[in-house]
Amino acid sequence: MSEPRSMEPGPIRLVLVDDHRMFRSGVKAELDESMLIVGEAADVDSAIVVVAQTRPDVVLLDVHLPGGNGNGGSDVITGSGGVTTESGAPVRFLALSVSDSAEDVIAVIRAGARGYVTKTITGPDLASAIRRVADGDAVFSPRLAGFVLDAFGAAAGEVAVIDEELDRLSAREREVMRLIARGYQYKEVAKELFISIKTVETHVSSVLRKLQLSSRHELTAWAVGRHLL
Amino acid sequence: MDVVPAPYEVPQSPITSGERLPVRRLERPVQGRYLAGVCAGLAEHLGLNVRHVRLAFGLACLAGGAGIAAYLFLWALTPQSLGTTPVARTDAVAIGRPTNEPVRNLVVGLGLLFVGGVLVAQQRGVNLRLGVLIPILTVVGGAVLAWSQLDVAERGRWLVGDMGPAGRRAGLVRLGIGIALATIGVVVLVTQGRGFSGLWEVGIPAVAVLAGVALVAAPWGVRLWADLRAEQAQRIRETERADIAAHLHDSVLQTLALIQRQAGDSAAVVRLARAQERELRGWLYAGPLGSQASLASAVTEVAHEVEDLHGMPIELVVTGDRPLDVGGAALVRALREALLNAVRHGAAPVSAYVEVGSESVEAFVRDHGPGFDLDAVPQDRFGVRESILGRMSRHGGAAALRRLEQGTEVSLTLPVTAPGSHSQIQPEAQTDTEARTDTEVQADTEGRR
Repeated sequence: MSEPRSMEPGPIRLVLVDDHRMFRSGVKAELDESMLIVGEAADVDSAIVVVAQTRPDVVLLDVHLPGGNGNGGSDVITGSGGVTTESGAPVRFLALSVSDSAEDVIAVIRAGARGYVTKTITGPDLASAIRRVADGDAVFSPRLAGFVLDAFGAAAGEVAVIDEELDRLSAREREVMRLIARGYQYKEVAKELFISIKTVETHVSSVLRKLQLSSRHELTAWAVGRHLL
Repeated sequence: MDVVPAPYEVPQSPITSGERLPVRRLERPVQGRYLAGVCAGLAEHLGLNVRHVRLAFGLACLAGGAGIAAYLFLWALTPQSLGTTPVARTDAVAIGRPTNEPVRNLVVGLGLLFVGGVLVAQQRGVNLRLGVLIPILTVVGGAVLAWSQLDVAERGRWLVGDMGPAGRRAGLVRLGIGIALATIGVVVLVTQGRGFSGLWEVGIPAVAVLAGVALVAAPWGVRLWADLRAEQAQRIRETERADIAAHLHDSVLQTLALIQRQAGDSAAVVRLARAQERELRGWLYAGPLGSQASLASAVTEVAHEVEDLHGMPIELVVTGDRPLDVGGAALVRALREALLNAVRHGAAPVSAYVEVGSESVEAFVRDHGPGFDLDAVPQDRFGVRESILGRMSRHGGAAALRRLEQGTEVSLTLPVTAPGSHSQIQPEAQTDTEARTDTEVQADTEGRR
């Protein structure tokens, strides 16, 4: 976990990357003064340029984008590798999608996004997700939690014996994921499991790390061709 | 006028009974023909009796073979009619080889007659100059074979699905044999008695000329082929576009029109948008979840149904899957009841999570309403309690209702049993509960609309 961003003064600097102008203006209208939109881009190539120039705290990234190598949002994350904010923290990416296709979501998470939310998310929820990502935490929608449980075989009862095992979730991580899939907020998860919110965030970040680093072959095989309705 | 002629009662002459096009084109019909359908087509086109036309051709044949020439000429130039009758269209075999039997018999008979005639003529001392006749016949035979193949190929283009790779290969073989026969015939004819040296003498210039012609014609041919392919691709694209346009028109545009009309009713707008989104998603990403008999698809279906009934979005997450059995169906019904309960009495967001594990199926329905006390449930909730809690316990599972700080959560658990071990379920009690539940839902639906 990196140092919490909330200690720093000033609003969260944000770049919006989405090829639908209507959606970009919708997001702008929904966010309050604690967020400052410093740049916008409609395709992969201009997004990489804008991110390098503005060095934002968070990039709100559509999964499907024209340009680049044809991999949409993943190309932006790859192309912006190593870019940091002025305070030295890495630029964080929050994936935003209507697609819900496991393949796309897993791809963009594995490329390095810190979280995934659907475009139907409400304004306040989006703001809190952005804040969480800016603080270096991970954001899991219920759907992404469901993906993870499915992909790691946790739903079938597979549980890691040691926490460091990359290919399975630990019992605690599985519990956290299950509660998120059930629609619980982080603070509700914390209350339910008698742990602190910070610990919940740690578990979620650890799951995100496993999702990004695991070589579990089912993960890819499962993601390919499976779409959640 | 009292008697109005029915529009479909077009008087039909016996000859044109198979015809449908208002404009008569000269075509060779597929059915009711002996050889290639030239006579039948001509008779149909001119409005004459087929027999008369055939007789005329036969007589013309006697007049120095003029009939044969005319027949071949017409055959080469007249297109074959495409599926004139519904029968011919549905029966691919009938189209592919429409008059195989008679044609084969006729060809064999004519061949035998011809050979016999030649033998008789030879014995009478007539010099038929076989050295010329046989090559010419070979050329004609090859040409007929090749042309008939082109004919089949053309038909095959209209019936691509029916031909198959095997049929196409056979067609190519026949085309090759035809071309080879014609070539051999020409070569033998040209090298009359001069042996192989003569063949070289004649063959090399001929090949050179052919190569020259090919060189000149090749760009044109390639261009023509490319144009044809481009046109085909264009047509396929247009068809696809038309399909997509039709689908969007039937779904998205209709929904947008409905939304515009009901713009004031935000609940209706949300419901329409959700239903349309789902429909479009299903159409775009129709995945393996579509199988009807799985627990996951049943759960999804039920969640969508409840969404549509009440216009409140449900965030549904399903992990794992298994075939739908009796216990699973009971769980789905209980889940439906819980969802209805949540959207009716709770507040958004409503989320449902179903985990299909190897030992048990767990389902959670959570809303963010004010919640309620199970002991102080109003009268109308008593049935719900029965249909959720009671139903789950009847099927060996359990249900629990939990009040959270914000909202209520219903959890359902069902142990997974081996298939075929559900004999302990009492069907009477089950159907009774179901009937009541369904009427309740119906009444609710009507009240909303």
